[in-house]
Amino acid sequence: MRRLTEAELLRWLRGLEDRFEVLLPVLLVDGSRALGRLDEGAPALAGGRLPRKPTEAFFPQHDPVLTAALDGAILAMPAARPLFVLGFTAADLACLEFIDRFFAAPFRDDLYYRRRAGAVVAGLTGALGPAGEILPPAGGNCDLEVIATGDAFLLDPYTPAGQSLTGEVGVPAAAPELRPVQSAAAALSDEPQRLLQRASELIRADRVPDAFWAEIGTRCIACTACNLVCPTCTCYGVQDWSYPDRTERSRMWDSCQLEGFMREASGHNPLGSEALRTRRRIHHKLAADVERWGHLTCYLCGRCDAACPTGIGIQAIARELVARYG
Amino acid sequence: MKKTLTTCPYCGTGCALYLLADDAGRLVGVEPSATHPVSRGHLCIKGWNAYAFVHHPQRLTTPLIRRSGELQPASWDEALGLVAERLLAIRDAHGPDALMFFSSAKATNEENFLLMKLARGVIGTNNIDHCARLCHASTVVGLAATLGSGAMTNSIACLEQADVILVIGSNTTEQHPMIGARILGAARRGTKLIVADQRRIRLAHHADLHLRHRCGSDVALLNGLMHVILAEGLEDRAFIAERTEGFEELRAAVADWTPQAAAAVTGLTAAEIVAAARTFAGGERGAIVYAMGITQHTHGVDNVKAVADLALLTGNLGRPGTGVNPLRGQNNVQGACDMGALPDVVSGYQKVAEPAVREKFAHAWGLPALSGHPGLMATLAMNAMADGQVKGAFILGENPLISDPDQAHARRALTSLDFLVVQEIFLSETAQLADVVLPAACFAEKDGTFTSTERLVQRVRRAVAPPGAARADWEILKELARRCGGDWPDYPDPGAIMAEIAGLTPSYGGIAYPRLEPFGLPWPCPTPDHPGTPILHVGTCTRGKGRFLASGYRPPAELPDAEYPLLLTTGRTYFHWHTGTMTRRTHLLDREERGPFVELHPDDGAALGVRDREEVTIASRRGTIRARVRLTTMVGAGTIFMPFHFAEGAANALTHNALDPEAGIPEFKVCAARVEKTPCAD
Repeated sequence: MRRLTEAELLRWLRGLEDRFEVLLPVLLVDGSRALGRLDEGAPALAGGRLPRKPTEAFFPQHDPVLTAALDGAILAMPAARPLFVLGFTAADLACLEFIDRFFAAPFRDDLYYRRRAGAVVAGLTGALGPAGEILPPAGGNCDLEVIATGDAFLLDPYTPAGQSLTGEVGVPAAAPELRPVQSAAAALSDEPQRLLQRASELIRADRVPDAFWAEIGTRCIACTACNLVCPTCTCYGVQDWSYPDRTERSRMWDSCQLEGFMREASGHNPLGSEALRTRRRIHHKLAADVERWGHLTCYLCGRCDAACPTGIGIQAIARELVARYG
Repeated sequence: MKKTLTTCPYCGTGCALYLLADDAGRLVGVEPSATHPVSRGHLCIKGWNAYAFVHHPQRLTTPLIRRSGELQPASWDEALGLVAERLLAIRDAHGPDALMFFSSAKATNEENFLLMKLARGVIGTNNIDHCARLCHASTVVGLAATLGSGAMTNSIACLEQADVILVIGSNTTEQHPMIGARILGAARRGTKLIVADQRRIRLAHHADLHLRHRCGSDVALLNGLMHVILAEGLEDRAFIAERTEGFEELRAAVADWTPQAAAAVTGLTAAEIVAAARTFAGGERGAIVYAMGITQHTHGVDNVKAVADLALLTGNLGRPGTGVNPLRGQNNVQGACDMGALPDVVSGYQKVAEPAVREKFAHAWGLPALSGHPGLMATLAMNAMADGQVKGAFILGENPLISDPDQAHARRALTSLDFLVVQEIFLSETAQLADVVLPAACFAEKDGTFTSTERLVQRVRRAVAPPGAARADWEILKELARRCGGDWPDYPDPGAIMAEIAGLTPSYGGIAYPRLEPFGLPWPCPTPDHPGTPILHVGTCTRGKGRFLASGYRPPAELPDAEYPLLLTTGRTYFHWHTGTMTRRTHLLDREERGPFVELHPDDGAALGVRDREEVTIASRRGTIRARVRLTTMVGAGTIFMPFHFAEGAANALTHNALDPEAGIPEFKVCAARVEKTPCAD
């Protein structure tokens, strides 16, 4: 573990730019924070989780799949530089660990791994919450972690890739320096986790009536933000665009809140109502994935609750659900 | 990756978003602004997908000239040379009023101003209008008469402070989703919500009262509400005494509109009308939100006046949480009106009929004089085109063949022209009829400003380059004006055009690009140090006293009868934008709504023997189309609803060209139709 000042940390990140496409939280012109290059805006390490999921670095909103010439030949894609992405919270890293597994499962998603393989993933935790509160350290699930203690940044590598990059940067730090952050993190309430777990149990025990989902469904305006911002949502749509000299196939983030998501060619739709679609979104994370993967696939990153214009993100729904049926 | 802060190109809500571009200059996504006062980290599905049509292969990349009946690629020099030559030839042969200019609520303020300047200052006609004629022309007329300003009185944020919100004729969660979400949020926090809409829209599920009054019976409903408020002494007497005029005339006019009388016309119960009146008048702060359900009628101006009367009667004006809030449809329909893309006013609603106004503009533009004769409204211009009085038309970013009433009439009008120019981003159905097509940059490819429904003047910023030879509308207009003999400054950028606008337009006097960082200013903003005006009519109305203008009930121009027994009302869906030029080329939006449909009540469906999703024929006295049935209780029995997005089943082939006498707006919301169970032709 090494200790750095913010200036040293940024200098170190700049030094990585000759080998990597370095992305970190930057401040945009209106005060929004987003992953960007060092030249895109002032670094904005503090402020908590980024509004946009950092997994977009590997699974972007819109991604070319292939380009075919008129004779059908597939044109080579330009090689991209390896990514170094700083800005994952512990919850984000848990999400990344899950979609790494998801996209690696047969069939392996080459498009995802085109960017993910060779990338260096860095957690960003510690005293960086919106009002200085503690973001719990991840302690793993990444190549290295940058943990803010309030007066310094501790650099903790977890993998050989992380170790090779952190090397001799900064000065050695002792484990006790982490303790205030760790104890503050340990003191954080686990109520959100317990609530979500309880909601999962209720859904799996079939204790939630259809009327509940119908009621939630009437509040859905199908903006699709819950899916688009969710780091464990992996569904995408595919389109082909034919230009005079080529055809481009690309994919884009899709949403199970859309009627067209499951509509059959006949027009029949097994998810033909808002109630069913809303139920599915929650059921998928809290019940179906539990069957398939053995765990919930919501890690409480909070993005869907922040991005939903009508207040039906997964935690809000879990609260209502447990209050009524729990 | 480059992130460009800009304003959403779809509805008038005015959400701020970032366009995300890759290193090759291609758009790859959208991110909502986390700090913008309207978007606040949220967007609707169209906003989230606003990037997705920009690089579509069907974008126009070169000018086109019709040769041997076919539109063929041409150079800018050829195309603009031909446009200038033909426009001037028509003007010289038939006079300037033989030309009509359609401006665009999708284009920027600067572009609307330049087209207005081209029509008036270079060609010499006031024949300029745009699609506000089809959406809020009634508002501009009705609110100017009652309050003195034809715009939304309050800010969007104000809705969160209302005790009661009356939403009448606005499917807000679908058409202004981020405003609809605020209304939903307010209702959940305890704000009383009254929804007056024939359709069972999403807001209705969350309303304290849903009034499913007959389409076209709004004046009866509003007069009935005012009757009850007066009968029960719920009016704001202090406000009426201090701030209004014409009250006794209003009192007399609504005296006969007892709840029973209003019920007979609206199809509601008297109890519903009484309950709604008490609920609305019972709030200290009451906001009225309305849209096309009020305006698109042959009595649209009457409807708007009645809405304003209700606000005046209850003192709901000039305070947070109150107001008369017409939700403007297009991203820049407010701005296109502000810029004078209207036949009777130049920018800032300054009347061309007033000599001092003409003198000011003529002096600024270095001209001896300007025409003082108001020009043609867009709808009347279509009639004049069909009659052969208007010989040439310049259409910037509009698609009247799909958006205007009575499509056969619109086609006749457009094909009767000697010369038609269409400036577009795609080869729209209207552009396919043109003699010359000029390829334009889209919102993501140019700089400028849009003015949102809450009068917020906001920046639009270039994120990527336009495709091929396409150019920004302002650049095209600048060059065309030069070729038509206009002596314009060589505007280096849209900011320079805004400086000219600010100098000539009192309400924009303090607008300058540096002041619009990052999020814009609400007009009126008369001076460089003025902070802008989120709420109008504080202390006094723009016209001085608020003026009660009572309206008598007039039924719609065409109601169902034995031959056409259903009432057809038209509108939009959440997923598409107007004629679908952009949204039907956006994968997820196109997938969501693939083609034309008709909402039919299950009882009507049973009587006709049609099943859900079955293709049927829908006929009116104007035309016949095919569409798939959607059996739903969204509509009441006897009413059918169709969106007008789809060229292959164009609802406007059925609608009729009956106009409000003052505003010239068509009655898109009511006509008579029938549904026939007939097999596919193939």
